[in-house]
Amino acid sequence: MKNRLKVLRAERSWSQQDLADRLGVSRQSVNAIETGKYDPSLPLAFTIAETFAMSIEQIFERG
Amino acid sequence: MTGRMTGNESKQNVGRSPFFYLGLMFAAYGVVAALAMTDSVSQTALYILIVLPFGLVFMVVRAVNRRADANMAGCTSKGLAQRNYVKRVAVFTTLYLIAFAVLTFLSTNYELSQTIRFSLALLPGFAVLGMFWAIGRLIVEEQDEFMRMLIIRQSLVATSISLSAATMWGFLESADAVPHLDAYWWAVIWFLGLGIGAISNRIQYGTWGAV
Repeated sequence: MKNRLKVLRAERSWSQQDLADRLGVSRQSVNAIETGKYDPSLPLAFTIAETFAMSIEQIFERG
Repeated sequence: MTGRMTGNESKQNVGRSPFFYLGLMFAAYGVVAALAMTDSVSQTALYILIVLPFGLVFMVVRAVNRRADANMAGCTSKGLAQRNYVKRVAVFTTLYLIAFAVLTFLSTNYELSQTIRFSLALLPGFAVLGMFWAIGRLIVEEQDEFMRMLIIRQSLVATSISLSAATMWGFLESADAVPHLDAYWWAVIWFLGLGIGAISNRIQYGTWGAV
């Protein structure tokens, strides 16, 4: 699964740890999702979408 | 996040490294081993000396927790599950060492009835079961799904390795091709398997995991 997490994070000047704190997960989790090594569960994908005030489809796409 | 510490504040508050206390513990065990090899102390004193340095495990746990607090800034529950896990493993490891020392001391120095020997032999086993339970609780309590997946992955690798090794060794032992191995060694192999699982996590996901 491809995602725009790194770009969205950079636009807001958030570090991986900043985003991890907002999501309530570890920095390692953010890194694994961002690099496409791990696909988040649906609840976490919703939390990510809410954090960026976007829909899931605007952040994730099949790849 | 407003509560985050600066690097300097973290350095001031985290205290000594866990490796300092681990080093102390290994040095203490080195001294105990030297005393044992030179027959400088009685058997009873030796059993007490074997258990005492393990008290440093609690210092290691405190040092790890201080660092976890400094790094996490108290923002997630991830740290809590792992702190509980470290505490539980420290408690059960201590109980294991005490049970093992008591079992060895009593069975070496006294003629024990079969019932007492049976009961004493169960004690270290229960302590090891406690360690398995601690890993189970970590999986249940871990709120970070990625970290939870890594722990489960590690456990699967460990289970695959230990069960495969036990099966192969069992058949080889039946064929008189290898010496007898006491069954509790498969638990030791399982814990070593967790380490191999952590390496596997690191290769595939770039992080070791939580165990």
